[in-house]
Amino acid sequence: MIVETRGLCKKFGSFYALKDIDFAIREGEIHGLVGENGAGKSTLIKILTGVYPKTSGEIFVSGKSVEIDSPVESRALGISVIHQDRNLIPSFSGVENVYLGMDTPKTHGISIDFKSMRKKIEAVMAQYGIDLPLEKMAKELSPSQKTMLEIVRAVMNNSKLLILDEPTASLTDKETDKLFSLIRQINSEGTAILYVSHRLEEIFELTERITVFKNGQLVDTVATSSVDQSGLIRMMTDNWISGKRDDEIHVNYGKKVFSVEHLSTEDGIVKDVSFTAHEGEIMGLFGLGGAGRTESLEAVYGLRARKSGTIIFEGKEIEKPTPSKCIKNGIILVHEDRRGHSLVISRSVKDNIVLSTIDKYVKHGIFDVKAERREASDKINQMNVLSQGQDQCVGELSGGNQQKVVFGRALMSAPKVFLCDEPTQAVDVKTRGEIHDLLRKCARDGSAVVYVTSDLKEMLEVADTITIISNGRTWEHLENKGLTSEQVLSYCYKER
Amino acid sequence: MEKKKTDMKAIVRAYGMIFALILIIVIFGALNPRAFLSSTNFWNITRQMAILCIISLGATLIMSVEEFDLSVGNIASFSGVLSALLAISGVPFFFALVISIILSAVVGFVNGFIVTRFRVMSFIVTLAMGQVIYGITYWLSDGAIVFNGIPESFKVLGTGKFGPVPYLTVLMVVAIIVFQYLMTRTAMGRKLYAIGGNEMASKVAGIKVKTYKTIAFTISGAMAGFAGVLLASRIGSASPTGGDAYMLNSYATIFIGKTLFREGIPNVLGTVVGVALFTILANGLTIMQVPTFVQNIVTGIIIVFAVVFQKMGSGKNE
Repeated sequence: MIVETRGLCKKFGSFYALKDIDFAIREGEIHGLVGENGAGKSTLIKILTGVYPKTSGEIFVSGKSVEIDSPVESRALGISVIHQDRNLIPSFSGVENVYLGMDTPKTHGISIDFKSMRKKIEAVMAQYGIDLPLEKMAKELSPSQKTMLEIVRAVMNNSKLLILDEPTASLTDKETDKLFSLIRQINSEGTAILYVSHRLEEIFELTERITVFKNGQLVDTVATSSVDQSGLIRMMTDNWISGKRDDEIHVNYGKKVFSVEHLSTEDGIVKDVSFTAHEGEIMGLFGLGGAGRTESLEAVYGLRARKSGTIIFEGKEIEKPTPSKCIKNGIILVHEDRRGHSLVISRSVKDNIVLSTIDKYVKHGIFDVKAERREASDKINQMNVLSQGQDQCVGELSGGNQQKVVFGRALMSAPKVFLCDEPTQAVDVKTRGEIHDLLRKCARDGSAVVYVTSDLKEMLEVADTITIISNGRTWEHLENKGLTSEQVLSYCYKER
Repeated sequence: MEKKKTDMKAIVRAYGMIFALILIIVIFGALNPRAFLSSTNFWNITRQMAILCIISLGATLIMSVEEFDLSVGNIASFSGVLSALLAISGVPFFFALVISIILSAVVGFVNGFIVTRFRVMSFIVTLAMGQVIYGITYWLSDGAIVFNGIPESFKVLGTGKFGPVPYLTVLMVVAIIVFQYLMTRTAMGRKLYAIGGNEMASKVAGIKVKTYKTIAFTISGAMAGFAGVLLASRIGSASPTGGDAYMLNSYATIFIGKTLFREGIPNVLGTVVGVALFTILANGLTIMQVPTFVQNIVTGIIIVFAVVFQKMGSGKNE
């Protein structure tokens, strides 16, 4: 075994991100790691590469028990990782990036010997048939060139284990083929590969064995030849059926209030997204990590540059959307990033609740402080926010109560359309239920809700209909009736 | 016990600078009561405060949205020279004042426009803009102090009094009231503070961040221009570098003010205390006939203390 974990646990607060993981990678194999959003794949990688400390359990590298306290130690043990968000320094050249954190050759023991560094790198590149402009800064390279550069770095580091985390997310088919042949070549020379991806066809093409994670636990490790795609998906999910709510589901939605047609963004993450929401409908937008969910909502709200696409609200197109224009029209976004994009953490509960609607308290040039306080207090009561009063700093509240403040503000502008991105993330169970009830009630009163969550179980509980998004495009639109998580996932993993 | 200890720290943090202010008054009062504690000197101090205060109030707006305007000193010099030249050429004082303020506001607007439109650092943009304005001022004045032929009417606002109360003092008090109202009792003040607290969240909440930032820069420019005219009017001449020193001092007063009342947030009353502290210190040291360079040393040390105080008290920052 090149790398092995025994009883590995990682806790965040009282929540287990990983529980009792017994996981092993054999020498010289290509090992696939799959699992739903939040199954614990990234957490495992971060522990192996020294980004997170483990809570308990043991890690063995080449049979020896080790403590990995920092990325440097991980690298010294021969573990290299190539990340989704690439870890190159944008303003450094190829040579500088490859040698980052490694000992650099010196002339006369002082000045860095760039010539010999470059020679060594070029020798490695020649060996693998890689062609890269080493003098260019990393930020000038294409996504595929960046991946190649990281691979060169990993090889130079004499890696025993190379971890690739969604390496093909931004590559074309041709670039992917090239990457795969490179991976095979590196592997044939004795480096074990851990390949993490949502793209199951890649897992099947590349790997010898596959490990499945679910809810922070290891389900099984199987030989790739012994499973097929549907078998794998079955292992990845508890098969929830959208059961209890059949009676509650709105079948007769009202008129179409909100639709997005052929949306794409400048950065290429959103390629072709269309969806529609009706009065009374909670429309779920479901996709795997990196599918473009958040980015789509941001583009709709004017927070991300659009390339094309139309946004139609109550029959009229909203041209050049901005947050303030959307709010005026009655569209509100609850952003997934609560502390960064929703709350002004240093300000009071009241200030945060009235943030979107400050202007309405100005009458004849005079600011009506009493009305402001009264309405803030109404919302605090309505949302049942636990605080020491409206003047308490919002940063002192619990996550759940902070999110209630965010919803309190959303309600202030009496929206017709709610765009909710992971609204129950890092929120306690009770608040989560309250948020669901609130949205359900708003829908009943005639609003439309677009709901994004990575938690498929939650999605099946909440949504009336589900639109599948993958790889920046929307696909099937499903009625959430007797739908199973397996069905939804198989649409997400479908090869297109 | 633990609770009490943190309370003490909080009090030191919140009111430390006010204690310092009282301490300074007590010391100077004890050392030279006749000169320092006279009513003449009181009004004198308030008059000395006025110009720094008016620049600092404008800059407080900029700081509240987490930006900098380092051109305020240069704008004040420019505005002083411009108004003096206009007055010499026969333009009535009122119009010279208005034209200078408007042009200063335009400079502020351009600062704000560049910073928000191109998303560049205000620090460097306004520093560069300050150089441009300095060049223009130099060009206008031929690099010399403008004083020949300034009419007496130009000096009224800067030197006149209602009884014992200087006009400058009255203007300062009015400005303080207006800015305090603006920052605490208007939608705009709320929005500026929200932007300063979290620009992204404010944008998502529908606040027009760029517009309000640009307004803050424009007001800051106008206030610097106003102060520049008052300075020229008080001295009766206009130097092409006359207002430059106010830039650093105004930011120092805001930093001192940030430690007061609302922890870590620029606020009008805090700025006023900062201005008072600065001015009283300078006044007292001058009365004691302490050389100017010692004044620099003392004020510098006080600014450092103010910043350290604030960090020291708030355990959150550690």
